[in-house]
Amino acid sequence: MADKKRDIIQGTLDLLILKTVAQGPIHGYGIAQKILVTSKEILQVQQGSLYPALHRLQRKGLLKAEWKESGNGPMAKLYSLTATGKKYFQEEVTEWQRYADAVALVLES
Amino acid sequence: MDFPWKRAESELQQEIAHHLQQLTAEFERQGHSHSEAVRLANREFGGGEQTKELCRDERRWAWLTGLRQDIVFGWRMMKRTPVVTGAAVLSLALAIGANTAVVSLMDVILWRDLPLPHPRQLVNVEWRGHGFPRELADGAAGSMYQEDGWSIADFFSYPGYQFMRERLAGKASLAAYGFPNTVSVSFAGAASVAKQRPVSGNFLSTLQVRPALGRLLFDSDDTNAAPPAVVVSHRFWASTLNSSPDVIGRAIIINNKSTTIAGVLEGSFFGLIPGDPTDIYVPFHQAPNVRPKGPPPLTDNRFWGVSLIARRTPGYSQNQMRPETDAAFVASWPAQPKKADKAPHIYLVDGSGGLEFLRSNFRSPLLVLGGLVSLLLMIACSNIANLLLSRAAAREKEVATRIALGCSRMRLARQFLTESAMLAGLGGVASVVVAYVAESLLGQFLVARHGDGIPITASLDLRVAGIILATTMVALLLFGLFPAWRTSQMASAEQLKNAAGRHKWNTGRILTLGQMAMSVVLVMCAVLFTRNLLAIESTDPGFDRRNMILFNLRPGTSGYSADQLETFYFNLERQLLNTPGVSNVALSSTRPMNIGGWWEDLKLPGQVDVKGASLNGVTPTYLSLYSPRLVAGRNFEWADISSSAKVAVISEDLARQWGGLSVLGKTMAFSDGPPGAQTPQYEIIGIAPSMAATSMKERPMVVWLPLDKSSRDVAVVLRTSTPPQFALAAVRKTMAGIDRKLPMVDVITMEEQISKGLQRERMFATICSCFGVLALVLSVVGLYGVIAYNTARRRNEIGIRLALGAIPGDVIAMIVREGMTVAALGLALGMPVIWLGAKYVEKELFKMKPLEPETLLFSVGTLMLAAFVAVLVPALRASSIRPAQTLRQD
Repeated sequence: MADKKRDIIQGTLDLLILKTVAQGPIHGYGIAQKILVTSKEILQVQQGSLYPALHRLQRKGLLKAEWKESGNGPMAKLYSLTATGKKYFQEEVTEWQRYADAVALVLES
Repeated sequence: MDFPWKRAESELQQEIAHHLQQLTAEFERQGHSHSEAVRLANREFGGGEQTKELCRDERRWAWLTGLRQDIVFGWRMMKRTPVVTGAAVLSLALAIGANTAVVSLMDVILWRDLPLPHPRQLVNVEWRGHGFPRELADGAAGSMYQEDGWSIADFFSYPGYQFMRERLAGKASLAAYGFPNTVSVSFAGAASVAKQRPVSGNFLSTLQVRPALGRLLFDSDDTNAAPPAVVVSHRFWASTLNSSPDVIGRAIIINNKSTTIAGVLEGSFFGLIPGDPTDIYVPFHQAPNVRPKGPPPLTDNRFWGVSLIARRTPGYSQNQMRPETDAAFVASWPAQPKKADKAPHIYLVDGSGGLEFLRSNFRSPLLVLGGLVSLLLMIACSNIANLLLSRAAAREKEVATRIALGCSRMRLARQFLTESAMLAGLGGVASVVVAYVAESLLGQFLVARHGDGIPITASLDLRVAGIILATTMVALLLFGLFPAWRTSQMASAEQLKNAAGRHKWNTGRILTLGQMAMSVVLVMCAVLFTRNLLAIESTDPGFDRRNMILFNLRPGTSGYSADQLETFYFNLERQLLNTPGVSNVALSSTRPMNIGGWWEDLKLPGQVDVKGASLNGVTPTYLSLYSPRLVAGRNFEWADISSSAKVAVISEDLARQWGGLSVLGKTMAFSDGPPGAQTPQYEIIGIAPSMAATSMKERPMVVWLPLDKSSRDVAVVLRTSTPPQFALAAVRKTMAGIDRKLPMVDVITMEEQISKGLQRERMFATICSCFGVLALVLSVVGLYGVIAYNTARRRNEIGIRLALGAIPGDVIAMIVREGMTVAALGLALGMPVIWLGAKYVEKELFKMKPLEPETLLFSVGTLMLAAFVAVLVPALRASSIRPAQTLRQD
């Protein structure tokens, strides 16, 4: 199983984070878990890149964060999309789709 | 307090703790024990500190947090070595301060415009020719200097000025001014002296000075019929008129003549040049308009005694102005000279900075000083660089640890740069004090050179300080960049272990070499100027300079009429002689040892060659006050004064030129005088020993004449039997008894008078000695640092050498050789600089060549000796290394 796990390609991590956060406020650990589960345990987010990425997105104003009681106990920092973040996410998804289609076209030719 | 960066820091802690908790819980759910789960979670998460560091880099406040951390850390590093840091900051402060002071003065004197509207429109009107135009003029007052084979002068006749002013009307406003004279002033019952500058009525309005109170002078004031009015400088108003706001319209007694104060000029206007001593501006027609002989200057077109400044109207260029002014100048002459190519022609000089002569006078000494202080700054900067380098090397372990903990290389480099910037900043702040002190010293030094002026104050220019601080910052950042870059290149701890710098010529040594080269220049200047001063001071003036008092009296302008003066002078001598402590009294028309004075070209009848001599009118006691007896002939008697006898005593060296004792009884004549008229002639009645009459720096031949009995002012020379300071109180009492309203001007001892004339030499010697000592200390400390550091790194090698049987003497020799090589090469490197700089310094020297073997040997010797001490200390330390100990250490 360990072999199948892929590190995330540079540049797509932001997109994956934004997608995950778009589904509702969530903390850092949750984001990593959700990406792992949703990708059927193929995409593994390194903690070393997750938090810097979160902080970067926050600085760019795409994410906002607040401290809340998460379901089971201690205070957690929950991230959610800002208005700019939502717009940016939509644009990035379209862009990614175009890119993936293009790659698919080349590979299938 | 809840700073944003602090909050972010604790949030980051919590966030990561939360993540670890969740991971641990996950592992526990998978069936691991709690402790096992914690371990697994930590492993899974990886380097927590690294993640934190990466996150910090992403934060909004990151740079600020980083900066704060850098500064706090830098401060801690500085505190750890207070002496080194203190020395570094002090040396920077001295260097920056000295530079600020010199550059501020250069700015004020060489570069800055007069504080007047549109200064670029101002033009100094001068003429250029070959020597004094004897065919056109009989006498002159003004200055003339030689440049590139031309004589450039600033004096014109008053009628000539009026003619030129008419011709230029509408295109340029031409104004005239004379040299400031000392006048006796009495205001509201208090008597003092002041400097009065005669000016044309349009002078102040041409300059566009604004009055602070009252009005300016106008052409309507500049007539014989106008009621007497003057305008005073702001400085005079503040000091002598007590800043009283109601002075306008009040009377001031100037040279015994009641005059109305029409206005006070604005404070920013210091005069035509920085240090202009003018207190009072008086219209030409109200100023004393007499000469001892000849017609009044204002109507005589053969007496050239006024200087000119013009303001061009916008659009009228200097190139258009020159030929038109010249045509008017030529047309104003009473006759055309026979040789047209020798005739003077108008020469225009930009007047935006005031009078040109101040600039040309000060350019060379200021540039020499500027060169010296910039060398000093370079030495200080390279010392700091050395300090940072060795500090960086000493911190290799710390740096390696920080890299291992995830510190980015950018961040490390920034840390080092912050530290050098902090040093520069601290140095800069401290330099303000240094600059302040240095500037007042330099200001005085320039006055001394300027002679009659008031201290030139540059009022500590913050702009200049800023520029110099910025330059220093840049220099330091460059220097700081190297250690920063080197440290950030250290890839791993592995590499570190082998990184002992074994290069023979590492950066530290090259810097030290440069320092030595610059120091030898500064030390040499110090030795040179000190020797120069000592040589002048130890010259024998030809008389005993101890126990002499000098002061001036101006009875002719303080209420005594011309026919009262002889009796006044006669009684003055008697009464002063009766004063306790006074053993001899004499009067002279020119103050002795006061540089300049009265000079004439003299010749014997029938001979062609002329001799230049310094002249003085004296009373009979004058010569006996200086030396007990004459060489030959007789002294003057008071009867010679009473009868205005045409007799002279000449100095021994002049007599020798004229054939020795046989000259007695012959008649000598001034070589120049108005054409047609007979030149003044004097019978030589005595020969006196040669002596310094005008200054310690020159020894002209001297001629003494009987004092002019109607002389309006005299210098009083006293010889005292007690030290002068004890006799002075009694002298003042006697003077008060003679006339309470007659001020004693410039009361000083002869020794003070002599040293006043040497102020420039003394200041140069003092400044250069300070620079020299500073340079010596800095470079020796630099050398010590580099050698000590290199030796410390070679402990192992030295230990092994000693273990293998080297004797301590070998080790000492090895290290001393190494250090002295650096020093000697540095000194050699400095020699070309000295050789190149010699010609700039030569102008400032008296009777001395810049490159004398003694000077060179002494400078090099001092530096080599200091360098030897500096390398001997680490060498001795190294020789006492115990082999077993060093080997065990690693």
